[in-house]
Amino acid sequence: MDLPVIVPPVAPRWVWMEEVTYSHIPIATLITAFLFLAPIYEYIGYRLKDGRYDRLAKSLVYFSMILYSPGAALGTGIPMFIIGLWTEFWSRWSMLFFWPLMFQFVFFLTDVGFLFFGYYLPWDRMQDRKRLHIFFGAMTALFGLLIQAVWDSLGAYMTTPSTPFPPISEPVAWSAQAFFNPSYPFLFFHRFFGNISYTMLLTGGVFALKCRRQKDPEEKAYFVFARDFTFTIGFLSFFIMPFIGWGFARMLQIKAPVVFYSIMGGHASPYFVTKMGLMVSMLLLAAVYMFKRYKSKIVLGSMTFGIISLYLVFHWHPPLHWIPGGPIVWRTFYTVAFLGVLAFLWNGARFKSLEWKGWQWVLFTAGLAAFFTFALGGFVRERARQPYNVYDQFVKVEVLPEEADRWLTYEKCLGCHHKSPEEFERYAKKDWEVRVGIERKRPGVDITNEEAARIVSFLKGNYR
Amino acid sequence: MTHIEFPILGAKWAIGSIALFHTAVASLAIGFAFFVTLAQILAYIHKDRRYDYLAKRVQLVHVCIYNIGTINAIGLVFALSGLYPQFWSQIFVQFYWPLIIEEFLFFLLATTLTFHYFFWEHLWGHKKLHIFLGALLTPFFFLQFYIINGLGGFMLTPGAGEAELSLSTGVLGWDRLGFYNPSFLMLTLHRTLANFAYGGFAVAGICGTFLYFVARPKLKDYYEEGGRLAFYVGFAAFLSLPIIGYFYAHVLKSEAPDAYVSLMWGRGDIVSGGVDWWWLKHICVAGMLGMSLIYFRKTSDDKRPFSIPTVMVYSVGLFYLMFYVAMGMVMTWAFFWYMLASCVVGGALGWHLLNYHKGSARAVFLLIGILSFTTVMLGGYSREAARPRFVDRISHYDNVFVPEERQPYLMVDVDVAGIPKAPAPHQPTGPIALIRLHCIKCHTLDRVKSYRLDNWDLIVRQMIAYGLELTHDDREQITAYLKAGEPY
Repeated sequence: MDLPVIVPPVAPRWVWMEEVTYSHIPIATLITAFLFLAPIYEYIGYRLKDGRYDRLAKSLVYFSMILYSPGAALGTGIPMFIIGLWTEFWSRWSMLFFWPLMFQFVFFLTDVGFLFFGYYLPWDRMQDRKRLHIFFGAMTALFGLLIQAVWDSLGAYMTTPSTPFPPISEPVAWSAQAFFNPSYPFLFFHRFFGNISYTMLLTGGVFALKCRRQKDPEEKAYFVFARDFTFTIGFLSFFIMPFIGWGFARMLQIKAPVVFYSIMGGHASPYFVTKMGLMVSMLLLAAVYMFKRYKSKIVLGSMTFGIISLYLVFHWHPPLHWIPGGPIVWRTFYTVAFLGVLAFLWNGARFKSLEWKGWQWVLFTAGLAAFFTFALGGFVRERARQPYNVYDQFVKVEVLPEEADRWLTYEKCLGCHHKSPEEFERYAKKDWEVRVGIERKRPGVDITNEEAARIVSFLKGNYR
Repeated sequence: MTHIEFPILGAKWAIGSIALFHTAVASLAIGFAFFVTLAQILAYIHKDRRYDYLAKRVQLVHVCIYNIGTINAIGLVFALSGLYPQFWSQIFVQFYWPLIIEEFLFFLLATTLTFHYFFWEHLWGHKKLHIFLGALLTPFFFLQFYIINGLGGFMLTPGAGEAELSLSTGVLGWDRLGFYNPSFLMLTLHRTLANFAYGGFAVAGICGTFLYFVARPKLKDYYEEGGRLAFYVGFAAFLSLPIIGYFYAHVLKSEAPDAYVSLMWGRGDIVSGGVDWWWLKHICVAGMLGMSLIYFRKTSDDKRPFSIPTVMVYSVGLFYLMFYVAMGMVMTWAFFWYMLASCVVGGALGWHLLNYHKGSARAVFLLIGILSFTTVMLGGYSREAARPRFVDRISHYDNVFVPEERQPYLMVDVDVAGIPKAPAPHQPTGPIALIRLHCIKCHTLDRVKSYRLDNWDLIVRQMIAYGLELTHDDREQITAYLKAGEPY
């Protein structure tokens, strides 16, 4: 099959595509996380005989119900856009994953069946049959997660394809090797905990604003509870993220090295650094509030443990060249920074009283930062694969020569040296023709004349 | 090209099941949207909260089934991608932009529907705005419906030569001639009214179901009245269907004669396992008719809202009798007798059920809902099954299209050599190709063919004056060929 290329108006095709996708993903993930947490909260309320948890669970489900239709409609738009704009890609991709996609459809139908008819609609009528109701909620959560599990596999395949992308004449329909590709578990767990963390932090932020406007003392008390509970869950579940992220990055380094280089100093790194900046902002803002809010040594100890764990990730990571003076300076710098933050948090309980109204905005800002951290994470993953739809298998239709040359440079040069693209910047002489000529003579290096010319051209253009 | 095998059902039945289920839900959604607005307006005008409450209940069911329909649409897209990749991709080449607009409308609909239901109480003080929001759903649905009918109509009556030209003239994503195909208008009208009828009857069915479970007299009265209103709406729309259906059949007779023959005499794919699905559909329709006539006859003396005068009931009965006599003459008299018997049985059953429940129409409401659902399903299935040779009918769907603008370096990892290519179709050359290429820029070839004078020199010059760009040589070739009166 070879079909014509349809060119959309106003913006390039990738902008349209990402616009639709990024509108859908935050909604879909929010629904998945809410539906996962709602039966847990309901169960807590049932065991503690505390109606506040039940109310909170119901409000999460209610909000999911509002989002469900627009989210599903946007979700339908994604394949529609891809079929028209990347016809060949979609045909081959859906041939490779036909059965997972069909299962996903069945999971989706079952999910909506449990959500509407088992969980949301009979909520009040099933007050006396709470266990059965929670079971329906758990089934909703399970099928929601199964939907995510299918999509994460298909998404991970695009970055770490463990089996070749089949030609259109070969309808595979189901490949266990492709489905259970190397980065799949990392992507799934990264998104699973990421969803819980970002949605709960954002929900806490929104509840904080609701507290601010609430006049009725009883209602205010409920929103204070909901704010602190959700925000704490979001904050604590964040600390697992760096560990999964570390494993994910390591897997990319092994199975999709060019993607790894693109993120770690390459063309996707500005987005990645911005994401990290947002994450640090969220951490600082949220931690200050948490330390102020909680007197319990267990909660404060857990948070301290989380921050120390984060420090360990920094410690395992090779030193970054972000500060002049070499590795020791870098390590000293972040150690002092972490100690300083911890000291501030433990002593900063006197920072502002909890009555200060500005806290509501602090929480909301932290929630927004968490949301954008999440959104940028997906964007970085997609950008890092350029110019491929499927890593090293299927080039995008609109690939530019510069993008193709950049890929070649990363693959050929960094593949041997295992360094960051920033290393090119640090090379002082910039006599790229001579340098590439020398490198080509090394044993095992396979660079043709045409490839060498493209690499030199890219290096000259970007690392002057 | 090899295909993915779908176990047990097979590809055709798998697609058919998902598509028909989706159609049933989508059609119901259109009917519900219309009914909800109607009920809200009635509640507002008569200051009667019962209609508003009924509207809200129906909208809740609507929200639930809307999501099921949406997910079904996603399943349909996936299934078509895997089971009929060539067909599905080609459909996108021809109708990409209508589909994207349809998708945009889908999102607007989902958002509006969600806001309308979930903000019902919040907008209580702004009732007019709330009714307006609900009313917006109907035009949104119809725009979406309009697009899908363009594609559905195209699959049955692709418009012969004109649609075939779309790819070779470089149309990407928007095939105007294919979209506005001969049966498009009739299909749209038929489905529009059928959806109103289906929606009304389905709401009556819901009211009937609730009547079985509620015990409070006030609630019983409420559902009885709601069901009556819904029945009235459904029946009013139901009456127009045979007229539109007649013209629809007429279009099929001229544009898709094999489909027409399949439907009328059951010689095609619609007879399955000895069962003629189209006959079954009409047995349901006749049953609904008999039951409806008896219901309205029995309630015509009530002096309550939404009752029909007795004379009207008999007129409708007579009208349908004429319709079935005509059908009997075209098809077989057996068809006529079957329908008459179904109508009588439906009426007798309705009479008995109304008496058995002491005037309550709960069973009639429920039965009419079930029968209307079955009718919609069987109608859609008959239409789809009546065109068994779809691929043969649209010849360019067998081709592999290679556009010139596709750069060779983009052909990454494509096993083009391994793709079995269909034999090249006969492509017209010379003056025929020129006529097809240039004339359809402004009007259809039929219009050119129907021109009876032979002053082609003048006509071609006029077209050049209107803006047609032709070289001298092309102009000479076209004029000479048209003058000769050769086919093209």
